[in-house]
Parts: sequence; C-alpha cells; structure tokens
Amino acid sequence: MMADADRTVAEQNQDAVLIERIRGGERAAFVAFYDRYSPLLFSVAARILGERKEAEDVLQEVMLVIWNKSGDYDPQLGTLSSWAVSVTRNKALDRLRARTRRLRLIEEAAILAEDSDATSYPSANEIVHGRERAELLRDAMKELPADQRMAIELAFFTGLSQSDIATRLQQPLGTIKARIRRGMLRLREQLGGAL
Amino acid sequence: MIDEGMQEQAAAYALGALNAAEIGAFEVALRVDPELRALVSELRSVTEALAGTAPALEPPAAVKERLLLEIDQRGGSGSKRTPDQPPRRPVSGPFGAAVSEPVGGPAGRPARAWIPWAVAAAMAVLSVAFLWQSSSLRSQLAAQAGRINELTTSAELAHAESAELRLTVAKLRESNHLASFRIALLDSLLAAAPTAIAVSVWDNERQDGVFIVRNLKPLPSDKDYQLWIIDPKYPSPVDAGVFQVNAKGDVREDFRAKLPIQTANQFAVTIERKGGAEVPNTKAMVLAGS
Repeated sequence: MMADADRTVAEQNQDAVLIERIRGGERAAFVAFYDRYSPLLFSVAARILGERKEAEDVLQEVMLVIWNKSGDYDPQLGTLSSWAVSVTRNKALDRLRARTRRLRLIEEAAILAEDSDATSYPSANEIVHGRERAELLRDAMKELPADQRMAIELAFFTGLSQSDIATRLQQPLGTIKARIRRGMLRLREQLGGAL
Repeated sequence: MIDEGMQEQAAAYALGALNAAEIGAFEVALRVDPELRALVSELRSVTEALAGTAPALEPPAAVKERLLLEIDQRGGSGSKRTPDQPPRRPVSGPFGAAVSEPVGGPAGRPARAWIPWAVAAAMAVLSVAFLWQSSSLRSQLAAQAGRINELTTSAELAHAESAELRLTVAKLRESNHLASFRIALLDSLLAAAPTAIAVSVWDNERQDGVFIVRNLKPLPSDKDYQLWIIDPKYPSPVDAGVFQVNAKGDVREDFRAKLPIQTANQFAVTIERKGGAEVPNTKAMVLAGS
C-alpha cells in the first residue's frame, strides 16, 4: 500500500509538471499526456457509448480540450487525470443523449446484467496504473455491496440522474442517494493511498 | 465536519449525477468550504478509479495522427488565447467546471479532414434513402410515427428488461467485447404488428452478430424474413441471412454477413421468398433501425 501511495504521489507530481508544460504550449508534453492517458479515456468513452468509432471522436475532442483549455483545470478539485475522465464522460454522454433513448436502455440493461464476477477482463486501470494497483481497484469495486455498485455505475456510465436511477430500480430517491454516498465513501476508504 | 446531506451531494457531484440547479447550489458551498473541496477531490479520484474499470482498449494510431495534425495546424496551446481566435462560449464542463468551446461549434478535425467524414455521411444518407425510397412506405411511416413511438416505448422497456437480453449482454461482457459491438434496436414498420421489435448486436472485429426478435408475425412456409446490414461501403444493403420466428413471433439467431462489413450503420429486415433474395424488397420491409 505504501508503494502504491508513493507511486500515486509521483504520478500526480508528473501530471502537475505535464499540465504546466501543456499550458506553455509544449507539444512534447501533450504527446506524453496522450500516450499516458488516451487508453483510459478511450476505454471510458467506448464503455459509455458502446462502440469504438464514436469513442475515437470523443477522445479527439477531449484531447483538444486538454490542449486548448487546460487553463480551466482546477487542481484544488482533483487530479489532472480525474478532470480528463470527467471531460470524457460528459462528452460521451452528450453523444449518448443525442442518440435515441432506446439505445440508452440497452446500455442500462448491460450494466444491470453485469454481475460481480464479470470482471475478468483487463481494465483500463491496468494499462494506466499497472496490474497491482488495478487489482486493488477491482477488488475494492467487487467488495462493494451490489446495490451500491449498481447505483454508482448507473450514475457514472449512463449519466442517469439520481431520480432516474430511483425510478429505474424502483427505489425511493433517498435510498439511491444513500447508496451512492455510502458506496463512494467506502471506495475512498478501501482505496486509501492508491488514489 | 461534513453532514450526510452534503456528503451525498459531494458523492453525486463527483460522479456527475447532480442536475444543473443542484450543481450551482453545491458549487456555492464548495467555494467557501475547504474541507468540502478536499472531499470532492478525493471522491473524484474514486470516480477516476471507477472509470478505469472499463475494459481496456487502445485507441487506433490514426486518432493520435489526426490530433497532432490538428494542433500543429492551429499552433500553440489554446489555453493562452490569441486575439485572432474566435470568442468562446461556456459549455457543460467536468464536475461543473466551465469548459469553453469556440462559438460556431466544438473544436473540430483538421481543416480538410471533413471531406471523408462528409462522404461517409453522404453515403449513409444514400443508404438510408435507398431503403426508404418507397414513397408509400414513407407516408405510411409518417402516419404511424406517433403510434409506433408510443407503442415501442412500452415494448422497449419490456424488452430491455427481458431476461434473454440481459443474459446475452452479460455473455458479451464476459467476453470483453461489448465496447467493440454495434448495438441497434429495430422498430416495427408494420401497422399490423406495431409491437414487433428486434435487437441486433454486431461484433465488427469478429464479423458476426446476434439477432433477437420479439412479436414478429410467423410467415407462410414459402417466405423467409431476411436481415440486411447497411454499410456505406456498399451501394446496396448486405445480406445477413434469413430466419423464421416461432409461433410467438420470437427468435434468437447468430448471423454473419455475406460480405465483409466495414461499418454497420443500420439494420433492416424484409420479407423475401424462401431462401432469401440478392437485393432487399424495400416494399416488404418490416423492421429497421440503427
């Protein structure tokens, strides 16, 4: 865990240097950022959209945001990579919403159908953070109660509001809010220094 | 000490699950509360870890090439805006943080890179036009559009919840290929069978797919339903095989296309003679969707 924590700090320091160099218009820094994070961002976009072609477009849009609008990044509110993930999610969801509502139902069904054992594939975390840390992250997700994990995944990957999730899962809104809160705080505790 | 209500908002904010009004109110609190900012920062890292559970995919090298070409053409980082750049308008940003884009559209592709995209789009439109060239079908569609939408909404809900679809999607997930799949929902074009519906899941890498149909009328023995894939690469829809439904109107079929598919833009089902046809009878189209 200490090694994870050390590595995380080192990664964050590298990212802080990278963003400054990108803000300075240094192409090599941008290429380094792309090489480091494009698999993660592409995987997230593909996971949300369910297809590669649109995910490629999203990745390109996001990278242009990183290049052109890195001044919008506020380090007080999270790491550079978490900001990039958020931009990716928002852009992918914009495209998803532009599609018919029907396809979104299929995406939701995919999440609802996913059981806790369906995580035997290599994850994007493995590419970006290495196998050891990826396994830690995966184990933390698997140990989360299924109802909490489902609410969190529906919120993140489908862009459903908490009210929408409550309707979809036929649960009171307060229950969904509590599940998301408990799940997120529990993950924070379990991941600890790996974050 | 952050109370539970604020923790709930922080968790939802980090996940991107607050609506616009809630984001505005929360960000007011965020500005004045360093403890809350620290919590949000940690929860965003949790969100990033969650995002990283997505199946790992490497983007094609062409994306990087296009991107670098674009920034080379534009010059230095746009975070230091120059006077000749257009004014920017705010758009929905990450975790509520404003992100601006040039007025007139989001940052685009290289100056001349629109040409192949425009050609592809035109081909797609032509393909759709080919399928929907029957004016009688168009007028029939227009007249029934409202009713079809209404009926398919309930059918979709039922369909998305069907155990078979869940099992199919779960199976695909286990094989770690869902991200590369093209999933399409096909609506009924038949007034007599408005609740007919189908889902096509196409794996472009493996060049095969799964087709699930509900509530389609069984055909006489001298007829078959035929599935078609609309790929802009080809002037005509590509034959993806024939099928029959059971007495309830249901079927689940694995299918392959008769030609290599580059982009499965749309899927359609027609009624053809037994064994299928070379080209689709568009006047006998019963399902279509993308």
